[in-house]
Amino acid sequence: MSILRGFLILVLFFLLGESLRLVFLVPISGGILGLMLLTLYLMVTGGVGNAVAGASQALISVLILLIMPGLTEIFFISGKFTGQWLAVSVSLLVGTFLSVVTTLVLLNVLARKLPSGSSNHE
Amino acid sequence: MNSPLTVWERLLTLSHVLADTPMLVIAMTILAFFAANSVYIAIGRPVWLPPVVPAATILAGMIALLGLDPDSYREGANWLMLLLGPATVALGVPLYQNIHHIRAMLWPIVLTLPIAASLAVGYTLVIAWALGASPTVMASLAPKSVTAAIALGIGDIIGSSVPMLMAALLITGVFTTLCVEVATRLLNITDERVIGFALGLNGHAIGTVRAFEISSTAGAFSSLGMSLTGLFTALLLPVLFNL
Repeated sequence: MSILRGFLILVLFFLLGESLRLVFLVPISGGILGLMLLTLYLMVTGGVGNAVAGASQALISVLILLIMPGLTEIFFISGKFTGQWLAVSVSLLVGTFLSVVTTLVLLNVLARKLPSGSSNHE
Repeated sequence: MNSPLTVWERLLTLSHVLADTPMLVIAMTILAFFAANSVYIAIGRPVWLPPVVPAATILAGMIALLGLDPDSYREGANWLMLLLGPATVALGVPLYQNIHHIRAMLWPIVLTLPIAASLAVGYTLVIAWALGASPTVMASLAPKSVTAAIALGIGDIIGSSVPMLMAALLITGVFTTLCVEVATRLLNITDERVIGFALGLNGHAIGTVRAFEISSTAGAFSSLGMSLTGLFTALLLPVLFNL
């Protein structure tokens, strides 16, 4: 029952995010708005109940299950963009590698340089 | 009572009849999830192979084997993918639980985000443009580091092709986990907060799945990177493509 109650709370935050998206026509998905609202709510109330923590953990542990149906699309759409695949694959692979390296280096350097960056609580 | 079909014929068309309800598709997807899990463990959890890849490959194989139409698979899978909404919200819990780590790294994150998220778009667009990609292709590649639900909304505004946009997202997500694996070794970076943030900023939900395998802290930073990149890119791209 506890997990079900937690699930209900997550769904309600999702619906709240969706409502904000639809009413104010923001280009952000309801899920991301709900995530931010839930984080803010937890920061304000100062704690996660067992129900929400349990439901959240259950959903996060099956995140792959929810993503894999979308990933199968890749096997069924190839061939639709003949002639563009070189530009597509090279730009994605090289561009992604460069931006991963940029993010890692930038954040790593800034985390060391800025005084607040030294946190070793664990 | 005399059906025109024999038992054998009814058996052969069974998968199509069962696929009329989402149950078959849901069972197949969960089955593929467990099968991929066993395969992944059996081959020793190689870091170069994000676990979503064997999962999706096994699933695609099952769809092909049963002769299901990809469209009818998609229709059934939508029932399962409905859970992506609350699952995204659920990422708020580890985010909150790691809020002290995030506070400690607030300024580095605030400074890194606009630069790295712009370059995630920029590098790829410049390379694609140099290789002669069409405007539609450019518009489909631009939201590549944004989580699917937000990316589809951006794609609507800037004129992307939906299948190519989805392919770009998926390739980027999978390749990001690989690149992070390689780059952290080359650069000798071990800070889980940095690794998590890079996974989420570049590799959206697929990167976030990988980050949660590392630790809950990496997962929280990845969720943060994914959310902030989604917000930032949703504001950036409509302006960029209007110029």
